[in-house]
Amino acid sequence: MAYLEMIDIVKRYPGVLANDHVELTVERGEIHAVMGENGAGKSTLMSILYGLQTPDEGYIRFKGSTVVLKSPLDAIAHGIGMVHQAFKLFESLTVWENVVYRREPRRGLFIDGARARAQVAELARRHGLPIDPRARVANLAVGVRQRLEILKALYRDAQVLILDEPTAVLTPAEVGTLFTVMKSLAAAGCTILLVTHKLNEVMAVSDRITVLRNGRVAERLVTADTTPDAIVRAMTGQHVTLQRPKQPREPGAPKLEARGLIVEQHGRRVVDDVSLTVCGGEIVGIAGVAGNGQSELIEALMGLTPIERGMVLIEGKDVTHGAVAAHRAAGVSYIAEDRARTASAATASATDNLAMGFHRAPPLARRGLLQPRAMRAWARGLIERFDIKIASTDTPVGTLSGGNLQKVVTARELAHDAAVLIAEQPTRGVDVGAIAFIHGELLKERERGHGILLVSAELSEILALADRILVMYEGRIVAEFARAAADEATLGLYMAGGSR
Amino acid sequence: MTVASGVRARLRRPIAALVPVASALVVGFGVCGLIALWVGLSPSVMFDQLIRGAVEGPQFFETVARAVPLVGMTLAAAIPLRAGIVNLGADGQLALGGCAAAIVALYLPAPDGMRLAMALGAGMFVGAAYAALAAAGEIYAGVPLLLSTWLLTYPAKGLCGYLVRTPLRDPTTAWPSTARIAVGARLGHLLPGTPVNQGFLLIGVVAIAVIFIDRRTSVGFELRLRGLNERFARYGGVALHRQTLGVMVASGAIAGLVGAIMVLGSQFRYTDGALTAPQYSWSGTLAALLAGGEPLGSVIAAVLFAALQTGGFAMERSVEIPRVLTMVLQSIVILFLAMRGAIWKRS
Amino acid sequence: MTFAFFNATFFDQAVLGITPILLAALAGTLSERVGLFNIALEGQMLVGAFAAIAGSHFGGTLQAGVLAAITAGALFSGLLAVGSALLRGNDIVIGISLNLLAAGLTSFLLRTLFGVSGTYSDSAMSGLPRLTVPGVASLPLVGPALGHQNALVYLSWGLVAIIAVFLTRTPWGLRLRGIGEQPAAAVALGANATVYRFLVTLIGGALCGLAGLQLSLGSLTLFSENMTAGRGWIAVAAVMLGRARPLYVAAACVLFGLSDALGLRLQGEGLPNQLTDSAPYIVTLAALVIAGLRQRRFAGPVS
Repeated sequence: MAYLEMIDIVKRYPGVLANDHVELTVERGEIHAVMGENGAGKSTLMSILYGLQTPDEGYIRFKGSTVVLKSPLDAIAHGIGMVHQAFKLFESLTVWENVVYRREPRRGLFIDGARARAQVAELARRHGLPIDPRARVANLAVGVRQRLEILKALYRDAQVLILDEPTAVLTPAEVGTLFTVMKSLAAAGCTILLVTHKLNEVMAVSDRITVLRNGRVAERLVTADTTPDAIVRAMTGQHVTLQRPKQPREPGAPKLEARGLIVEQHGRRVVDDVSLTVCGGEIVGIAGVAGNGQSELIEALMGLTPIERGMVLIEGKDVTHGAVAAHRAAGVSYIAEDRARTASAATASATDNLAMGFHRAPPLARRGLLQPRAMRAWARGLIERFDIKIASTDTPVGTLSGGNLQKVVTARELAHDAAVLIAEQPTRGVDVGAIAFIHGELLKERERGHGILLVSAELSEILALADRILVMYEGRIVAEFARAAADEATLGLYMAGGSR
Repeated sequence: MTVASGVRARLRRPIAALVPVASALVVGFGVCGLIALWVGLSPSVMFDQLIRGAVEGPQFFETVARAVPLVGMTLAAAIPLRAGIVNLGADGQLALGGCAAAIVALYLPAPDGMRLAMALGAGMFVGAAYAALAAAGEIYAGVPLLLSTWLLTYPAKGLCGYLVRTPLRDPTTAWPSTARIAVGARLGHLLPGTPVNQGFLLIGVVAIAVIFIDRRTSVGFELRLRGLNERFARYGGVALHRQTLGVMVASGAIAGLVGAIMVLGSQFRYTDGALTAPQYSWSGTLAALLAGGEPLGSVIAAVLFAALQTGGFAMERSVEIPRVLTMVLQSIVILFLAMRGAIWKRS
Repeated sequence: MTFAFFNATFFDQAVLGITPILLAALAGTLSERVGLFNIALEGQMLVGAFAAIAGSHFGGTLQAGVLAAITAGALFSGLLAVGSALLRGNDIVIGISLNLLAAGLTSFLLRTLFGVSGTYSDSAMSGLPRLTVPGVASLPLVGPALGHQNALVYLSWGLVAIIAVFLTRTPWGLRLRGIGEQPAAAVALGANATVYRFLVTLIGGALCGLAGLQLSLGSLTLFSENMTAGRGWIAVAAVMLGRARPLYVAAACVLFGLSDALGLRLQGEGLPNQLTDSAPYIVTLAALVIAGLRQRRFAGPVS
């Protein structure tokens, strides 16, 4: 009898069969990887296991008996814990308050703070997760926050721990630490479900693998007996795709220049004396763990954040103190990281979203007057060119899937035909087909002689596309490599602040 | 893949938006009927008098006359609302505008017609300037416009009240008010024998201008998109601060214009509290909320409310049901819509 | 001149002026902490004020008035609870319409139940009795103001402490704070956000009802239309200035209460009342501007 079984799970969403009679079997104390591309159904499956969703068909057996999980509370009560990709922490509260939330040790009507802190410290020590119970979460680094999330689950006596894409926000070194923790937890009897799409990590730490593809189980593998190629074939139905061949190009004139940029927030230098150049016909990638100043750097380059000191030049024009409109007019467009909250208006139609930025000039406007027919034709043209799946130009874009919305954003920004394109996490949460399409478009921009600044948390994406790679750490550019000279290990070292 | 973008697709959304409004009206009337029953009044008599009082005979022109300031105040509320900004200071801008118009019409040494024009202009200018003050608070000190506009109404009304009691007081009248404005500097009747004055034309022009700008210009586009997602607007290059100042100036100018029209077209003097007594700014804000800031819908809602209020007056005169019940009705309608999430569902 | 300027009456009026604002601001504080933006404080106060008079009149006793104020405040806030806490409608729209509904409803009921318009006053009706705290009452200047007030005033001070301790030291206060700060995280750990929001709104309604009680039965016994006169909005400003921390919010309320009394005092010195009436609103604005400018200096990017 297996320790944990998910039997014949079916889950339907409008228009999509997310889980199609999926069966998952997990043994006690093993590290079991659940793999698949974006949209394969692994997040849905795990959210069912954690009680966030209920399956339309099928059931779960844990420790020999059937369990019904109607909410995360039920899951926690049964000993199933989850560490999400996006942390769910209370920023202004302390570590111990976050850990004991809703299970506070009490003294009469009050919280027993001393006992809580002691319990947290003991738990942290026992599992090798050093943390200061009194620290405020807002001041914690990302790797430490993840430790906090794990502690939260352990505090609630989790015997099964689901880790959802845990390494997305970690440096390679921190990933190593996480694996050590995982192995020691497993050795102590905790069962771990690792949800991921990263091959090397799965090979390094898992015991068995269940691969999902298009909502169904494609393969069940034993890690020791399989190869990365076999896993990829199971995930995608094809062999490992080689890197897209890229023509080497002689970079042209500098299109975007930053000189000695300093950005301060809350008294701290979040961008510390950064200088970089992006020339026409080259893709410059910025590698770095999220939270090291990349977002602030991009915002400064776009005019969204005031610059304390330094200069920003676009096609030779000084736009340092200009507003966003001035930057865009000088020749830069920007695929923003947060497509739903920043780069689009969910309740506005596709026509309106695609017109933003073009609405003051012909053909969409003449002398301040909008031209509705031209706007609709414009939208239709972009929708067709980018193969965006949408019912009509008037459909609000909030109803689109992640990949299609990303295409809308990409289509609009590329339509500017700007000298410089800043692409921030351009393929996050996007299905494989759209990823290939967007990468193709970025390379086409490069062919046209435009400069591209690519910020991505996926090292594989940067290694695939960039001509030059910069590494950002704590607000500074700490390393620069030509593509040929870069590899994951070295980049990882600099991303973690090493080798100084 | 062909993509639909025809007329039918475009009509679907506004028609879908009317359904919750209709059901909200039904609920509103229902609740008011219940309240009437509770205090021992007859709902059917109430509604009968309400509707007849709004449109029967000369009452129709009463409604039209009332619609002029109401539509004006609705537009004053709708312009910022379209961009997601709430201007609760319309009363203050209204009072200052009316007071300024009265002062210019009474004391400016200039020929009649020019005095009238300057008075109207003064009303708009003062209203706009006062609203700009609140905008400055938001832009430079981050004070939310929701609060600053509301708080500023008190000093504004206080100042006007003081001016009209001391330096400008007309001692021959019982109420604290200014002297009567000369006939030549007044807004004349539009339709003889009715209370509708030339202010109707002024507000009509403003309404058409606002609707046009909102639908057909780049400025209107930026306003609308900002209301839908402010971060997106900023990211797309919209200058938010300049826009905030712009909508507040426009809003205050219209509110001030309404005050001037009321003083120059119907009251012919500035009397303390007379401009704000009919509560046009609150009804205007409610009408704008009903339409989500969309100008044409706001105007239609304003006309509806004008009918409601005129009917309410008549109802009070004939069957002694307090007309303030119409305010209750208006609030219930908006409340119901907001609860159903038909107005700006929380993101 | 200055010493006589701030006489015992001044402080007494200040304390009386602070109390309704403080009670409403505490209601607003709790709402803010649980993640709701409650701008219906004005309307809830007005409903409470009317219910206090109505309850005292029709029920015959002061207790009936108190009960009516609390019940009416809570019931009226039920609309906010359903619309905002349960159905997640737009806080601002619901708040504004509730304020207007309260004004219209109370005016309507004033005319239909009492047969008057404008103001209803009954000198035979008993207001809240004043208690005397021995020792404190005999202090110079501030003695009568601090030591000789009605029970509601003292209750409001006690509530500041109780709410502060509740939020920081009790499990339910911690859960409430978590829900307000990061509802997704709180719900993931099993906190019932809807129940907390609902309860907080109802309790806030009761507090606002008490605030209204203080207005209509606290010193004089009367109800006039729109007698809250913007105090609910000042309470909103107090919550903002105090960043929803009970002690800072109370300090903000003291500031406004003092400026209100200052306005009355200046009126006594002969300044026109139209201008002095604006004193608390101008002080509120100035405080908000100053606080905003100071924050700008430390904060990061400007929009």
